[in-house]
Amino acid sequence: MSKTNTTASQRGISLDVYAVALALVLALLVRFNLIPPVKW
Amino acid sequence: MANAVTPASTASPTGLVRRSLDLIPGLLLLAAVGYAGKVIEQSIAVYTKSHHVTFPNIEYVLWAIVIGLIIANTTGVPRVFEAGVATYEFWLKAGIVLLGSRFLLGDVLHLGGISLLLVAVALTLSLTFMHLLGRAFKLKPKLTSLLAVGSSICGVSAIIAAKPAIDADDEDASYAIAAILALGAISLFTFPLIGHSLHLSDKAYGLWAGLAVDNTAEATAAGALYSDAAGKVAVLAKTSRNALIGFIVLAYAMYWASRGEAQAVGNKAAFLWRKFPKFVLGFLLISLLATIGFFTKPQLTSLANLSRWAFLLTFAGVGLRTSLRELGKQGWKPFAVGAIGEVFIALLTLGLVYGADRYLHL
Repeated sequence: MSKTNTTASQRGISLDVYAVALALVLALLVRFNLIPPVKW
Repeated sequence: MANAVTPASTASPTGLVRRSLDLIPGLLLLAAVGYAGKVIEQSIAVYTKSHHVTFPNIEYVLWAIVIGLIIANTTGVPRVFEAGVATYEFWLKAGIVLLGSRFLLGDVLHLGGISLLLVAVALTLSLTFMHLLGRAFKLKPKLTSLLAVGSSICGVSAIIAAKPAIDADDEDASYAIAAILALGAISLFTFPLIGHSLHLSDKAYGLWAGLAVDNTAEATAAGALYSDAAGKVAVLAKTSRNALIGFIVLAYAMYWASRGEAQAVGNKAAFLWRKFPKFVLGFLLISLLATIGFFTKPQLTSLANLSRWAFLLTFAGVGLRTSLRELGKQGWKPFAVGAIGEVFIALLTLGLVYGADRYLHL
């Protein structure tokens, strides 16, 4: 549990950075029309 | 959670490839459960419309969570899916950043400012209340601290952030996490019902859900269950609350260090930055770009839809990771303290939101 929490904590930080990076890449792909319009 | 990506395991290229491959089954399960929820919502809408039946629209959010809950609590989630299912939090954060495109920065500052004001008031009162409650139930002081942080600020993330900072026991942390998760699952079903019965506006309800529901995933889901607009506001309010994690954890770390029961905090600015949820900055950046006209209208629609797809994976994960059996194994005292505290915080924030709606014009 201790190890789990430590790694989860470390991951909490890197997870945010990766999530922001993915979102920004997707936003740029949409902005420069490099992917087709996304439907829901 | 146990399948966290660690620096060591991703150091070599083969390790990275293996970790990525391990995620695929769980990701497919998240997509299948989330998409099944969407199909059920649409099928019911088509059926009721063609047969002229009046039936309340039940959002895909609820279906995805219920399907996930059924799987997790009957067959269980097989080990092969666990790593991928654990990514639901990643999709939540990516979805929140993309949701920034649906807010003008002025709205963010207005509603975020009101949220921060309300959070400050609610935090002070709820932390005090939780400590009194913990003392009344004779809980261990550090367990009470974890429950107070979890229920007042940000659920599991705050508990995980606070645990090493105050040198709390593993057992205390798992008790607090279990209690917060159970209460989060209950709030998913009760908040929309209460909101509808009180005829709350989308903004008022969203603000309430964002201020009162602990985990970001559950707060997002509780908002989306009410309406799309309420979901947006809930995410914004919850994001404002998340931004305060570092300050609260720092205060607790300093308190326990002053009593000689935790290590002293060296560089406080570095501590705050380490604990600060970085996705809040991404959300603000996308909102800024949307405000200055960086995206066209159709592109904004695409970004909003990408955010919805990310949330679809998140909601499936919320159901799939909630094990009622595990929750039942925890002691009743932490749960009772958490539950009483949650009811107090829900009533307190409801009162604050009513006041804000009336005097600050949401």
